[in-house]
Amino acid sequence: MTGARPTGAVLPTAQRTLRVGGWLSLPVRSRSLLVGLGLVGALVVIAMLTVTLGTLGVAPADLARTVLGQGAGTDRIVWGTIRGPRLIVGIAAGAALGIAGTLFQTVTRNPLGSPDVIGLSAGAAAGAAAFGVLWTGILPQPVGALVGASAAMGLVYLATGRGFSSPSRMLLVGIGVSAVSLAFVEFVIVRVGREEAITLAAYLSGTLASRSWDHAATIWLSLVVLAPCALVLSRRLQLVEMGDEQADALGARSGRTRVFAVLVSIGLATAAVNVVGPIGFIALTAPQIARRLTRAPGPNVVMSALVGALLLCLADLLTQQSPFPVQLPVGVLTALVGGLYLGSLLFGQWKKGTL
Amino acid sequence: MTDAPRLAARPVSAAPGSTPVRRSLSRRATGLVVIAVLLALTILLSLAVGNKYIPLPEVWTALVNPGDGYAQTVVDSRIPRTILGLIVGAGLAVAGAVMQGLTRNPLGDPGLFGVNAGAAAAVVTATAFLGLGSGNRVWVALPGAFLAVAVVYVIGAGAGRSSPIRLVLAGVVVTAVLAAWGSAVTLSLPGVFDSYRYWAVGSLAGRDPQAIADVLPFIGVGLVIALGLAGPLNALALGDDLAQTLGVKVGRTRLLGALATTLLCAAATAAVGPVGFVGLAVPHVVRSVTGSDHRWLLPYCLLAGPVLLLGADVLGRVIVSPAELMVGIITAFVGAPILLLAVRRMKVPE
Repeated sequence: MTGARPTGAVLPTAQRTLRVGGWLSLPVRSRSLLVGLGLVGALVVIAMLTVTLGTLGVAPADLARTVLGQGAGTDRIVWGTIRGPRLIVGIAAGAALGIAGTLFQTVTRNPLGSPDVIGLSAGAAAGAAAFGVLWTGILPQPVGALVGASAAMGLVYLATGRGFSSPSRMLLVGIGVSAVSLAFVEFVIVRVGREEAITLAAYLSGTLASRSWDHAATIWLSLVVLAPCALVLSRRLQLVEMGDEQADALGARSGRTRVFAVLVSIGLATAAVNVVGPIGFIALTAPQIARRLTRAPGPNVVMSALVGALLLCLADLLTQQSPFPVQLPVGVLTALVGGLYLGSLLFGQWKKGTL
Repeated sequence: MTDAPRLAARPVSAAPGSTPVRRSLSRRATGLVVIAVLLALTILLSLAVGNKYIPLPEVWTALVNPGDGYAQTVVDSRIPRTILGLIVGAGLAVAGAVMQGLTRNPLGDPGLFGVNAGAAAAVVTATAFLGLGSGNRVWVALPGAFLAVAVVYVIGAGAGRSSPIRLVLAGVVVTAVLAAWGSAVTLSLPGVFDSYRYWAVGSLAGRDPQAIADVLPFIGVGLVIALGLAGPLNALALGDDLAQTLGVKVGRTRLLGALATTLLCAAATAAVGPVGFVGLAVPHVVRSVTGSDHRWLLPYCLLAGPVLLLGADVLGRVIVSPAELMVGIITAFVGAPILLLAVRRMKVPE
C-alpha cells in the first residue's frame, strides 16, 4: 500500500489539528512536528557541548547543578560569566535572525530578500555605532540601531524604484547601502578612542564573545514581544504568497500584512544585531533549511527560529573549540559558509531562470 | 528657432559635422581642459593640506625651486602619496570604464566584480603563510585578481546566459567569501593584522615610495592597453554581431579588456588596498559630459579618477584632523549613492 500513495495525497492526511479546550486550535503537520522535535533535541545537545567541552568545560555530572546556579568554584564562573550568557544570547539571536529572514523572504517572495543580504544588518550596526559610541546621550543604543536599520531599509525601498518586488535590484542596492553603513562604522572607529575602537572592530564582524546577562535579557525581551507577532502574521503571509488578489479575497489584506511583516522583521533583526553585531547569512540560510526540512508552504516561523538558533550556536561552538590560537568572531565563520551557500543559491536560480 | 522643432525636423541619420556634433565636440574639449585644471588644483591641495597646512604659494616655491626649509620637508613628504593617488585613481577609473564598456552595463565595476577582493585575499594569504614581507605585492595580487575574475565569470556565466547582473551577484558572493577569509586570517594572526589593518580599508597614507615603483609598470601597461581599446569598445556597444561586421575582433577585445582591467585593479589594490566605487562612480559622472564615446570617455576618466581619489584623500585629512580618515571610507560615501542611482535607472528585464 505504502509505495503506491500519490504524493499529492500526503498533505491533507499529514495535517492534524491540535485543540486546547475551546480557545486554541492549531493546525499541526506531523512531519513538521517530528522535525521540530529533532531540532530541539539537536539544540539541547549543542548547548550541552558548548558548556561541557574544552579545558574550562563543566563536567557533565555537574551540568544540571551548575545551570541551576548551584555550581562550585570555577563552574560557577564558567557558566555565570563566560559560557552561559554567550549560549543564551546565541540561541535568542539565532532565533530572531531566523524569524526575520523567513518574514522578509516571504514578503519579497525570494530567498535572496534577506535582511543580512540587503543591508539591514549593516544599517543597524551603523545606527548602533552612531548612537551607542559617537553621539552618546541622544538616543539609547538599541533605538539607534533601530533607526539605522529602518533608514537602510527605507533607502533600499526607494532606491530600487519598485519597492521590495525585485530581488536582484534589492541585492545590488543592498551592496551600496551596506558599503555606506560599514564605511560609517569605520569612520566611527577612527573617530573614537582606542579602547572603544577595538570593541567596535570585533562587534563589526559579529561576535558572541564576552556577552553579558544584560545582553541576554535585552534580546530575549525583544524575542518574547515580537515572535508572537510573527506567528500571528505567518498565517496571513501564507495566504499572501498565493498572490495579492486571492489573498485580499480571503481577507488577508495583503498590503497591510506585508508592511507589518517588514516592520516585525526589522525589529527582530535589529534586536539581534544590537547585541551580537551584524552576523551574516543566518537570516538567509535558516528559513531555507527549515523549508527543505519540513517541506511545508508559507513562512515557517517556529522552524526558522529553531534552525537559526541551531546554526548560530553550532557556529559559535566551532569557533570556541577551534584549534586556532585566537578565537575568531563567529560572524567570520557564518560569512564564510553562508557566502558559499549564497553562491549555490544564485546558481540554482539562474539554472531555473528565475533571476 | 527653438530646439524642439529643429530636432524633430532633422533626419534620423545626422551627417557628421552637423551643428549638434560640433557643438558637443567643443563642449567635450572644454570639459577636458576644466578637468585638467581641477586635477592640477587637487594635486596642489594634496601637497598643501594635512596636519600641517602649507600655504599654496609656498608649495609652489617648494616645487619650482627646491630649498631645504621646513615647508620643503613637509611638501616632499606628501609627494609619494600624491603620486600614488594619481596613478591609482587613473587606473581604477579607466578600469571601470573599460569594464562597463565590455559588459555594456553601468554596473560594471571591478570592485563589484570581486577583482579587488581577490587581490586583497591573495596578499593577506601570502603575508600570513608565505612570509611575504614588504616586498612587491603586485606579483601576489595579480594571480589572486585573475583567479577571482575567473571564478566570477564561471559562476556568472556557467549556468547558461550570462548577464551583467549575474556577474555582479557572483562578484558579491566571491567578495563575501574572500573578505571572510581575509578577516579569519588577520584576526587569528595578530602580527598580520597590524601590517594589514590600514591597507585593508584602502589608504594612501604611509606608503613606501618603493610601492610606487613596484606598481607603476603594471598600471602603465594596463592604461596603454585600455586606451587602445577605445575604438573597439565603441563598436562593441552596438552589439557583438554588429561589432564583428565592423571588423572588430570581439573575442580579442574582450580578452584584452579583461587583461587591462585586471592589471590595473590588481596593481592599484596591491599599492593602496581595496578602494571601492572609484571605477563605478567616475565613468558615471564623466559620461554625462562626454556621452558614450570611449575615445573621449577614457581620457576623461584618466584625469577625473585622480581628482576623485586625491580629493577624497584630502577630505580624509581634514574631516577628523588631527587624525586621518582612510580614503576607502570617503570613496564609499561618494560612490555608493551613485550605485543606488545606477540601479534605479537600470532597464534590464528581471
